[in-house]
Amino acid sequence: MKIMIALFLFAAAAPAAAQPIPPPGAPGYPMVQGPVLAIPVLEADFRAKAGSEIVRFARDSYVLTPQSQATLTAQAQWLIQHPFVRASIEGHADGRQTREYSLALGERRAAAVRNYLIASGVPPEQLDTASWGKERPTTSAAHDATWLQNSRVVTVLKQPPQPTYPMPLPQPQLPPPQGY
Amino acid sequence: MRSWSSKFLVTCSLAMLAPAAASAQSGEPQLVVAVPSLPTPKNVDTAGGQTGVLGIQIAQMIAADLRSSGSIVTIDPDKLRRYTPTEATAPLYRNWTNSNAGALVQGYVQARDDGRITVVCYLYDLKTHREMGRAGFAVGAEDWRRAAHRCSDTFHKAITGLPGHFDSRITYVAETGDRTQPVKRLAIVNWDGTNHNFLTQGEGTVISPRLSPDGQRIAYVSFTGGMPHVRVMDLDGSNDRPLLAGPPAMSFAPVFSPDGRRIAFSIAAEGNTDIYVVNAGGGFPQRLTNTPGIDTAPSFSPDGRSIAFESDRGGSQQIYVMNSDGSGQRRISFAGGSHASPAWSPKGDLIAFSRWNGASLNIGVIAPDGSGERMITNGWQDERPSWAPDGEFIVFQRTQQGSGQTWPYTVSLNGSEPKRLAIPQAGSDPDWSGASQ
Repeated sequence: MKIMIALFLFAAAAPAAAQPIPPPGAPGYPMVQGPVLAIPVLEADFRAKAGSEIVRFARDSYVLTPQSQATLTAQAQWLIQHPFVRASIEGHADGRQTREYSLALGERRAAAVRNYLIASGVPPEQLDTASWGKERPTTSAAHDATWLQNSRVVTVLKQPPQPTYPMPLPQPQLPPPQGY
Repeated sequence: MRSWSSKFLVTCSLAMLAPAAASAQSGEPQLVVAVPSLPTPKNVDTAGGQTGVLGIQIAQMIAADLRSSGSIVTIDPDKLRRYTPTEATAPLYRNWTNSNAGALVQGYVQARDDGRITVVCYLYDLKTHREMGRAGFAVGAEDWRRAAHRCSDTFHKAITGLPGHFDSRITYVAETGDRTQPVKRLAIVNWDGTNHNFLTQGEGTVISPRLSPDGQRIAYVSFTGGMPHVRVMDLDGSNDRPLLAGPPAMSFAPVFSPDGRRIAFSIAAEGNTDIYVVNAGGGFPQRLTNTPGIDTAPSFSPDGRSIAFESDRGGSQQIYVMNSDGSGQRRISFAGGSHASPAWSPKGDLIAFSRWNGASLNIGVIAPDGSGERMITNGWQDERPSWAPDGEFIVFQRTQQGSGQTWPYTVSLNGSEPKRLAIPQAGSDPDWSGASQ
């Protein structure tokens, strides 16, 4: 289903693809990932439309601020418009929390964001969650002011599946012309 | 055996024994142990050096081990007379009466035909003229430290009644690279910093290693595949496998039960974290907690009947205790701030924890009934305590403000200055094990 949609988008974006597709490797075969499906392009578009791929939290908190909700509403709209792009909702905690609690808190934050996106209309199967705990701080420095930077959830877009093209059917062998 | 140690209280008049004097002021009974060099019947070159030199090094190491326990004072080899190997099993007590010692370590080192060495050690009571303990090993010559540590463990047990930690190991996570993208490898090291080995090669992020009680397996958390999950492997790196079969679930905070048969851990899903227990070989996990909060960091009591854990069900992280079937859950920490990462001591009388007081994170201990809470460290960020097998020392992770570098440190229960573990690079999540055989 998603592949079909991706194909459709690809076709719409690249007029050449509307032509009969030559077999792979032959001259005229389209670039494998049309520019529409490259992750850097998708990410730039996502960031431009949603404002940010990141929402932040207060210490120990998984409550979404009004600002976070606005960001997530915009993220949801983008995801709804790009149903072929799956996203991983990755929660983080600050390094000043203990290891196990950081993991659990990251998961709790990711779940809060995922639930908000689903409530905003994103199909649940489009979203995965993960927690990094305190394993991936945004800064290598450690001091009391890192809370705001590290207590976050990042919506990470995943590379959509490659478009697959139907192989041209072999030409039916016409029976040899019969003599008149 | 325990009662006699009080007979040898060291007085301040022994000025040459400064550590003893210092400790005597704190009122702790101290035994003075003389540790002369171990003789060798014949000085032979081995892979670990000459046996005569090994005899000196082993005696020095035994002395250092016993001294570090805090309740024992030693007189080191270079202050003591030499003796012959034949004396080792039959000490000439009158020759030691001037040493001011209460006990004497003797023994010998002998090269074997197979390239290994025999190390034999005895502990004698200089007042009653009786043997208190003995140990003997045939070890590879380069493993002479193990032999020395095991002699020390035997003597520590004879003197204090408690197992020593001198031949114990610490597993931890070696950290290199930038903190925003760290390379993390499981590593194991003797408590004194020797015999350091990596168990994984840093291909994926790993955290939270825990040794099994028999020291043969290790449970840990891997981020490979994008979902943190508990894995178990043998110490030689073989049989690496996920603890749980079935669809991927976020599991973490593993810990072995004292009999090594079960593993308690946490599963997080839908914003809720609870504690489960499962057979160490796998199987269907049994759920122990069932609150909407974060319940994690389980730690078994030494008899395996109770589990301490942390929960934020009351608003902030606090220490709770429950029976190992999940019944009887009750909060024990009330001192203000939040409490995390409980670790039940091998003696059963204390639970160590990390406490956040609003400005710093530090290590403290509390009785299982919630009484007698006190703090042991005073750093910017000290966390994840784990007990030495003797219940006298704790290893924990200390983070430096600014650089964010973490190192394992050891500290004694009486609040001595923490000492950094002698390892080649930064490290986190230390776990101290008694087993080493």
